[in-house]
Amino acid sequence: MRDTFLGGVHPLEKKELSRSFPLKAFETKGDMIFPLSMHIGKPAKAIVKKNDPVLAGQVIAEADGFVSANIICSCSGKVKAVEKRRTLAGTLQMCIVVENDGQFTEAADYSVREELASLSNQEILDRIKAAGIVGLGGAGFPTHVKLMPKDPSKIRYIIANGAECEPYLTCNDRMMRCYGKEIVEGLEIILRLFPSAHGVIAIEDNKPEAIEAMKRACEGKANMEVKVFPTKYPQGGERSLIQAIAEVDFPGNMLPADVGCIVDNVGTIYAIQQAVLYRHPLFSHVLTVTGEAVNQPGNFFVRDGTMISELVEACGGIREGVTLKKALAGGPMMGFALSSLDCPVQKTTNGITLLDEDGVELAEKQATGCLHCGRCTTVCPNGLLPQLMYEAAEAHDYDRYEKRLYGMDCVACGCCTYICPAKRPLTQMFKQTKAEILAIRRMQAGGRK
Amino acid sequence: MSQGMLNISSGPHVRDKWTTRFIMTVVSLSLLPTAIVGVAVNGMHALFVLLASVISAVVSEYLFDKIAHKPNTVKDGSAVVTGLMLGLTLSPKAPLALPIIGSMFAIIVVKCLFGGIGRNFINPALAARCFLLISFGRLMTDYAVDGATGATPVATLLAGKAVNVTRMFFGLDGGVIGSSIIAIAIGGLILWAMDIIHGEIWFSVLFGFSAFILLFGGQGFDINFLLAHLCGGGVMLGAFYMATDYTTSPVSKKGQAVYGLLIGILGGVFRLFGSSADSFSYSIIIVNLLTPLIDMYIIPKPYAYRKEMIAFRNGEPRKEKSFSIPRPVVALGVIALLAGLSLSGVYTMTKDAIEEQRKAANTASYKAVCPDAESFTVTDAVKSKLEELGEEVYGTAFGRVYIRDAVIGVNAAGETAGYVVSVTSAEGNDGNITLSLGVSPDGEILGISFTELNETPGMGMRCGDPEFIDQFIGKNVKKLTLVKGGGAGDDGIDAISGATITSDAAVDAVNAGLDFFWNVMKEAE
Repeated sequence: MRDTFLGGVHPLEKKELSRSFPLKAFETKGDMIFPLSMHIGKPAKAIVKKNDPVLAGQVIAEADGFVSANIICSCSGKVKAVEKRRTLAGTLQMCIVVENDGQFTEAADYSVREELASLSNQEILDRIKAAGIVGLGGAGFPTHVKLMPKDPSKIRYIIANGAECEPYLTCNDRMMRCYGKEIVEGLEIILRLFPSAHGVIAIEDNKPEAIEAMKRACEGKANMEVKVFPTKYPQGGERSLIQAIAEVDFPGNMLPADVGCIVDNVGTIYAIQQAVLYRHPLFSHVLTVTGEAVNQPGNFFVRDGTMISELVEACGGIREGVTLKKALAGGPMMGFALSSLDCPVQKTTNGITLLDEDGVELAEKQATGCLHCGRCTTVCPNGLLPQLMYEAAEAHDYDRYEKRLYGMDCVACGCCTYICPAKRPLTQMFKQTKAEILAIRRMQAGGRK
Repeated sequence: MSQGMLNISSGPHVRDKWTTRFIMTVVSLSLLPTAIVGVAVNGMHALFVLLASVISAVVSEYLFDKIAHKPNTVKDGSAVVTGLMLGLTLSPKAPLALPIIGSMFAIIVVKCLFGGIGRNFINPALAARCFLLISFGRLMTDYAVDGATGATPVATLLAGKAVNVTRMFFGLDGGVIGSSIIAIAIGGLILWAMDIIHGEIWFSVLFGFSAFILLFGGQGFDINFLLAHLCGGGVMLGAFYMATDYTTSPVSKKGQAVYGLLIGILGGVFRLFGSSADSFSYSIIIVNLLTPLIDMYIIPKPYAYRKEMIAFRNGEPRKEKSFSIPRPVVALGVIALLAGLSLSGVYTMTKDAIEEQRKAANTASYKAVCPDAESFTVTDAVKSKLEELGEEVYGTAFGRVYIRDAVIGVNAAGETAGYVVSVTSAEGNDGNITLSLGVSPDGEILGISFTELNETPGMGMRCGDPEFIDQFIGKNVKKLTLVKGGGAGDDGIDAISGATITSDAAVDAVNAGLDFFWNVMKEAE
């Protein structure tokens, strides 16, 4: 194992805003909204209709196809509507709206524990699938798909990602401090599926309490260890972790499993433990509400479908004398800006960051022409050449962008944009260019038919 | 709770504190020690040159943006850096018009017309310096301070004489304003430590240059000789500040190393085999032009696509990392080595021939002014006096004249037939005038002959005509006087009408020669 990955940046951590607040359960009284697409892949199909009674833990929309996930209701009450509502992305999407009766009556008893030894591998996978578990780190890739690679015997590392390199967010930190034992059990469940794999719990060195807790939890386990990494963004990126742990890089068209690695967020692993041992489906998860603009930051166990505005209200609302400039779902590096707080928390929402100043607005004022200083090249965790990619993208030279500069391998981590002294909107340009190239590919494929 | 519309934009939503302006400010500040030493050593006029350069650079950019209806880019601070760098490469006694014209050229022609910051294809400050060198050669290379000698350390070094490296190191000897090596090195190393300039570049420039000088300098591994070359002629300023210009250097580390080596080697070639002491600027500019080519061929692949990584993914064992010099570097090194060897070979082969030809030409011109002599010799006393003079101005009454050579003509019978002095005056209308003066043992002028005369045809050039030269023959005085408009007596020489400056320089040279004859050569007997 290496000490860390190549490149990377050191944004201000700002974890101190929220890291000292223990996890609290937050229960809303208002209506809950469940978008049918909270994951990568096809949206789920609604299986309830208006006025149907529902219970917490009940499947209200079923996975549609292989790469898709169940949607689980997180409260009890009755379905108010199945209609288009505004979601985090700012667009209108099909959602199931549930009128919350405030009782949170559960569909089954989730406190009965079954021992892992009594379960077959297929049962484990079925339970994970039924629980609607997706990657809680942010991408939302259906976990049961990730755990079914072509050749399970080739998997060498199961990486429990507790790096939490995104500034401001501390929910994984708090989670590891409280649920070390559960996470280790979850990791053992995954290791059951991949007998030749070694478990690695990856944590950045700015979380000493979490490191301590996890080390204690996996004491005496031969097939797993805690690996501490220096604090550097994006240490928690899938490819950065694999680069550091398995010392291997892979191109964008390959999956981690192709190089013998599976990376899961510690939150996801906790959900796996709950789903497999207690049949508890995924309908709540941890998130951090933080930022300079919020009155009382904190870490919460939140039910999916909770309105963000209610959550912010529960944190004391916006701090007096401060204007909320920007609200982010996620942290400031990879999170995306919300046009309004009136949208629901999704499975993949690991933080709400409320900022009193807009770094992008400021950067636009300071922008100059590209100096060719090469800072973007030094920080790129994949060894790309952002300054040349930008020039190619600007000139719409997609051939050069794709084939000569490998621009499709950009993971949009934002390091180049963060470091750029000329404040060029590099990541933005790359996201847009990748989308355009994919659209052209689709068009060409369509034309050939 | 309802909020008004919030800002939405693509992330990342936090940015590093460093801005273009910050980098430019740090670069400017790192140049301050160099500027301060330059002003302290060379006097207040150096400060005015620097100020004129910086101010006119900033004003040029402001006006260009205004006229071209572009957003004002002055506040990014790059014009200040360009102005400062140009100012530091000028002579401390340059007329203020030079920095002003230079800065305007750098900013408007080289930078703004090509699209502003980050778009120039050669270093603006160096481009302006070369533009000035070509357009105002004499003013640009006139480094004399307070009437002291005009030779820069590199010129002295190239003439094969020793220089004081310690004085050069501190920037106390003549040259451009920014010639304090220690100040430049400190500033440059600070920039490197802050990761503002790329170590790949400055190191490979200095490495390439040193290696070339050591290999082909003809002095073996002489550390003093190397240091003298490194400390002179803007090598340090070039390596730390000019070659490292972001825009005109390659993107990849490997490309940067190749780029630096090319500059160093080319600088070495120009230094050893070229004629100009200012050649380092040219080598940087030439390699600037090659940057797009280097960037085209040396693009590092992302980690995942590198050969070793693909092999490792395919199950081959990982190779232990061994240090390897990139192939293009090896190839270039070999090419440079071969080119250098052949150049030095040609130089050595032709050196003797050139020397002989020069001697023959001298002897011929000496014979022309001392017709009775069969051969020429020189006494030890005269020789030591000549060495002592070196590149110093001779006397005080003759302007900027230099004694080049002095010999005694011997006839077939072995008797002294006459004396010949070769004198250069730097005060011709269009450059140097060199003449040989022949004097009989009793002080009668036997003749003069010009060996270097580049004056204006039809005017100054007429000094070479017999009409002017013949006036000198037969005169037997200690000092001649230039007379205008006829009526020249025993010690008078008629000036050529319309070429007074040239005539004056010629008479000064002859007087200096006569002075040397009477006071050095005759005294020595």
